[in-house]
Amino acid sequence: MSFLKVESVSKHFGSLVAVDGVSMNVQKGECRAVIGPNGAGKTTFFNLITGMLGLTSGRVVLDGQDMAGIDPSHRVKLGMARTFQITEIFPELTVRENVRIPVEVAAGLHLSPRMPAHLKASVNDRIEQLLEEGGLTRIAHRYAGELSHGDQRACEIMMALALNPRLLLLDEPTAGMGDDETHAVARLIKRIHRESHMTIVLIEHDMRVVFNLADRITVLAEGKPLAEGTPAEITANERVQAAYLGGAA
Amino acid sequence: MTQLILFNVANGLIIGAFYALMAIGLSLIMSLSDVINFAHGGFLAIGAYLAYTLSPYVGFWGGLILAPILTAILGLIAEKFLISRVYGRDPLYSLLLTFGLAFIIEDSTRFIWGAQSVPYDVPGWLMSPLSADYFFLTGYRMFMVALVALAVGGLFYVMNRTRLGLRIRAGTLDLETVSVLGVNVRVLRNLNFGIGIYLAGLAGVLAAGQLGLQPTIGASVIMPSFVAIIIGGLGSLTGTLLGGLLIGVASGLTAVFLPSATEAVIYVMMALVLLIRPQGLLGEEGRF
Repeated sequence: MSFLKVESVSKHFGSLVAVDGVSMNVQKGECRAVIGPNGAGKTTFFNLITGMLGLTSGRVVLDGQDMAGIDPSHRVKLGMARTFQITEIFPELTVRENVRIPVEVAAGLHLSPRMPAHLKASVNDRIEQLLEEGGLTRIAHRYAGELSHGDQRACEIMMALALNPRLLLLDEPTAGMGDDETHAVARLIKRIHRESHMTIVLIEHDMRVVFNLADRITVLAEGKPLAEGTPAEITANERVQAAYLGGAA
Repeated sequence: MTQLILFNVANGLIIGAFYALMAIGLSLIMSLSDVINFAHGGFLAIGAYLAYTLSPYVGFWGGLILAPILTAILGLIAEKFLISRVYGRDPLYSLLLTFGLAFIIEDSTRFIWGAQSVPYDVPGWLMSPLSADYFFLTGYRMFMVALVALAVGGLFYVMNRTRLGLRIRAGTLDLETVSVLGVNVRVLRNLNFGIGIYLAGLAGVLAAGQLGLQPTIGASVIMPSFVAIIIGGLGSLTGTLLGGLLIGVASGLTAVFLPSATEAVIYVMMALVLLIRPQGLLGEEGRF
């Protein structure tokens, strides 16, 4: 059974149909890329999965549980973590403080000032472990706003991972980055996927990243599903080529 | 002359410490919840009058401890049932709401405690001057400054060393992301409002001993507190503290040379800061 099941979801904004009957089944441990030309409705599709936008029709099911009526922050608690196209970190907090917030939330620490000693140690260990995995240890004391684009993204991904998600949604993780940074972020995602067998769905522009990371690819065009398959199948698909080259299918 | 200047500087520092205490609370609430709390002065008055009412039973020290806490509890209730309802709307709504609340509080204090000024007793030994030459340096004034320093120090500790503080700082930068990370933003805003009101209540108790008690006590400090925030820079607690002390001393000094301009001078300073450094002395560029 699919871990994430998206059943012909649609989103209308007035008369504009942004997403039109898209289905997608993602297996546990799979890395799925969602691609498509600009304006294909990728981000809207993402927002329908996370609940940031309400569905006009269709269904989103995570691990057998229908997400209807569950708001985004509750979906986070159910194991759905996401990063945004624009990096969402706290620029005026240090990297370590940025990571500390979700680690403490995941440890069940709320606003009471008390922190049991055993939790304190495990929280601190977890923070250092995430910083290490994200390659952030040597810059952990710096303000997140001062970091390079790639390090900021790594920080953001580590914050999402701190929540111990079962499904990680990444919205254009390499947007606006140069070659080196793109490569570094792609490597990080690949390592996370390989080591933790995390189920990952990502939107990505950079085809090198997509073909390097994804087990399967879903292609959208003008809000509709265009194709789905392995990277090799997608490369060979004439309709996909046509959509990207702008010619008639 | 030197003594006169020193007298007014000391006076200014003390008034400035009030402004700073008020302004820091206002600034906390403004930064996290985008609410310009015009009722902040009202909470100061509540703190002052509660201390006045309680001190015959629990003494000066009991009043000093209890009144700000009770004021903060009233603040938590006001936030939960009134102010939280206008979050996320046009700032005009919260402005109107807190403006109305300020009037309600002021008239309620007048109704309960009377329009006349009432005396607030401070232990006698605190009121005696520390030195014959500097008669204005009473123990109470030193005590107030020490207490304000303690309160501000405590707040900085909470903001920089505790989980609540970390989340408030993060929420000030981006409330939505904090929420996405699983922090309960409703509780966070409530507690943050409570901290701000606690500081107002504390300022009220201290002010009662220094300035005496009348229902308009809150209204007279609210505008300078806003000025302190603008001069110091919104979002910077250190800046706000500095702004409060600065305008206090400036109006104290003006009192020596041009007594009629003591109130105007702080607005002139604000205008100058806005012209030269619109983000405030220690504020971040692009905010406010």
